[in-house]
Amino acid sequence: MMETATKTPVKGVSIDDVKYKLIAENISASYDGIVAVKNVSMKFQDRAVTALIGPSGCGKTTFLRCLNRMHELTKNATLTGKVLLDGEDLYSTKVDPIINRRKIGMVFQKPNPFPTMSIYDNVACGLKLNGVKDRKILDEVVEGCLKMASLWNEVKNDLKKPGMSLSGGQQQRLCIARALAIQPEVLLMDEPASALDPIATQKIEEMIQELKKEYTIIIVTHNMQQATRVSDYTGFMYLGDLVEFGETKQIFENPRNEITAKYVQGQFG
Amino acid sequence: MITPEQRAEFRKHFRYNVGRRLVLDKIVKGVVFSCVIVAIVPLVAILVNVFSNGAAALTWNFLTEIPGAVGSDDPGGIGPAIQGTMVLIGMSSLIGVPVGVMGGIFLSEYGNNRYGRTVRFFNDVLAEFPTIVIGVFAFVLIVLTVGNFSVWAGSFALSIVMLPIIMRTTEESLKLVPVTYREAGHALGIRRYRVIFTIVLSSAKNGLVTGILLAVARIAGETAPLVFTILGSSQFISDLNGPIDALPLRIWRLSSLPYDSAVTQGWGAAFILIIMVLSINIGVRYIFLRNKEKTFLKFKKMGVAS
Amino acid sequence: MTRLIDPHLQNLSEMMKQMSDLSIQSANLAIDSYLGGQNARKQVHELSSQMMNLYDKVGDLTFEMILRYQPVASDFRLIRSSLEISYGFTRLSRYAYDITMVRETFGDLSDCKNEVIYTLSGEIKQMVQLAVECFATLDLDKAHELRTDEDLVDKYYNKHLPMLITMGNVKCALADALVLRYMERMADHAAFVGDSVNYIVTGARTY
Repeated sequence: MMETATKTPVKGVSIDDVKYKLIAENISASYDGIVAVKNVSMKFQDRAVTALIGPSGCGKTTFLRCLNRMHELTKNATLTGKVLLDGEDLYSTKVDPIINRRKIGMVFQKPNPFPTMSIYDNVACGLKLNGVKDRKILDEVVEGCLKMASLWNEVKNDLKKPGMSLSGGQQQRLCIARALAIQPEVLLMDEPASALDPIATQKIEEMIQELKKEYTIIIVTHNMQQATRVSDYTGFMYLGDLVEFGETKQIFENPRNEITAKYVQGQFG
Repeated sequence: MITPEQRAEFRKHFRYNVGRRLVLDKIVKGVVFSCVIVAIVPLVAILVNVFSNGAAALTWNFLTEIPGAVGSDDPGGIGPAIQGTMVLIGMSSLIGVPVGVMGGIFLSEYGNNRYGRTVRFFNDVLAEFPTIVIGVFAFVLIVLTVGNFSVWAGSFALSIVMLPIIMRTTEESLKLVPVTYREAGHALGIRRYRVIFTIVLSSAKNGLVTGILLAVARIAGETAPLVFTILGSSQFISDLNGPIDALPLRIWRLSSLPYDSAVTQGWGAAFILIIMVLSINIGVRYIFLRNKEKTFLKFKKMGVAS
Repeated sequence: MTRLIDPHLQNLSEMMKQMSDLSIQSANLAIDSYLGGQNARKQVHELSSQMMNLYDKVGDLTFEMILRYQPVASDFRLIRSSLEISYGFTRLSRYAYDITMVRETFGDLSDCKNEVIYTLSGEIKQMVQLAVECFATLDLDKAHELRTDEDLVDKYYNKHLPMLITMGNVKCALADALVLRYMERMADHAAFVGDSVNYIVTGARTY
């Protein structure tokens, strides 16, 4: 129907001038012999939401797991590259991966509150198992995190209920509160709403907008409309490469790369 | 596209012998049920036999006294045997359970490599080992070295019997816990051993306990290892370094005597042993699976049960 | 595999083609009839109302597509520009109608020299044709050409409009002024079409 001729670049805000919380440099990762991420570099702005989109198997989840050193736990995993949090390399051999995982929280696709623990214990788990014993501090953190996850009003009357007795959307918010409890600076979310119904999804997205005032958020999603609603920056990955990265408006209104345009318009496959 | 005419055509080829299939269904159901009954009949027969023959021997004296002289008027009781079995179970568990659970944790969490596979293989071999050989091994290792039969030797032998069962069931229970809980633990920056012990182990609690009880019920009835290790005796336990009595041994001894009173006592002892094993099984099932609805729903939500 | 939005985009394309044809028809008819001394008001009015009809339909269709399919990238730019361009086309036919109204209102203008109008009319007809082609082929060169043409028309208009003050015949002067004005506006809207096509291809907005 139409041919795209050569384009003139869009004039907009230069990303180089803003503050970056997390910088990934030349990340290449593989597992079981399959190369999943090929030399990807990205910069994540502080107090903004960055979305990673791409078809299944493009490496976006693997890349996300490289950011908080969870990739190492996969079978036969290899990884090269650097991840700088506030300028510090998370992969330098001097740094204990466990410490880094406390700076970067993660929320998974399927809600997974610990089955044998109550709501209170679930949120406090990260703190308790990392040595925090003061009851007052635990209470404060639990309340604060549940409030940030917009769950406090729904559960405040009975924090001793088992975590699994909540609905799917509430469980996912509980998991987010649990991730926030260890006071991370960056929050990674791997398709957090894909297992939830539309209303629960909406609540999660609204919560992300609130959280981005204080945290840097990186969200992997296969739902492009979610990326357009929720994110400030978007990165498109395909077959392990980062094809295009930019402001969300630019990526979806005027993508510079042919493959990006095809993908966002649903002309793939 | 398949048109409505084509659909009608294809439908003509289906078989519509519903009546025949319902009858076949009933027949198969009948066959399956009868197989089940055939399988249960021996168990029921044994239980009926034991209970009817052994009930006669049950008195308070029987339960608490030491065995009397063979063939005399006062046959005594099986008190020491009961005590012996309890002590043996307790001490074997003390050795077998921690080692088995740790082994199971190793196999499940750290054992996805050649080393783990080797361990698993040996474990499976040990599980099928003839227990009499284990008894002989304990005899040579402990009894001959120390110079006398003892509780230690018996417990040692029984713990070796117990070990592979507990290891296997622990590994399976832990493997049932979905990976996502471990990942969530790691993502919170919790150290690996704490993730395993606090999160994974507590989720697999029920499976673990079931496995341990299976093992206990198994060793309560093992006779062969006991022959070479505790010898049997007619006194209550006074010293852990000496021979003791146990129910399986006592049943064997009593049943092989030519006196009627002894044989009746043998039935009685068998009765007691079966009651003991059954009550362990039923009791713990009652305690741990009491909130069965909730537990089952929990497993359903976790995606573990369907 | 056709996407869900494709049949609707096809529909949009057909309606835009119809509007393009109507633009060329009404522009040519109005200008030729004015220069030839005939009254084509009724026909041009007919064309203009067909155009308005189509404009409403295009509006409905574009918003329905946005509501149902959340289009992005080139789909989105095409739809946004189609809305702007269809408005431009309605303006073209509207001004064409206004030109025929001049003949109707002022009556017989056979004694007016019309030289200025003659010169400009060729340019305007060509620009309308160019605008339609530019949108049909999404040719950036044509869009560029439209801008330069529009500059020329502006200059011509600014030069000749004041000169009408000195003209003796009041009727002719007024008629010429009105027609010049309408033609200059048609040129403007033709150039806007080029701008919208530029947005479809490059994503750059010119305001």
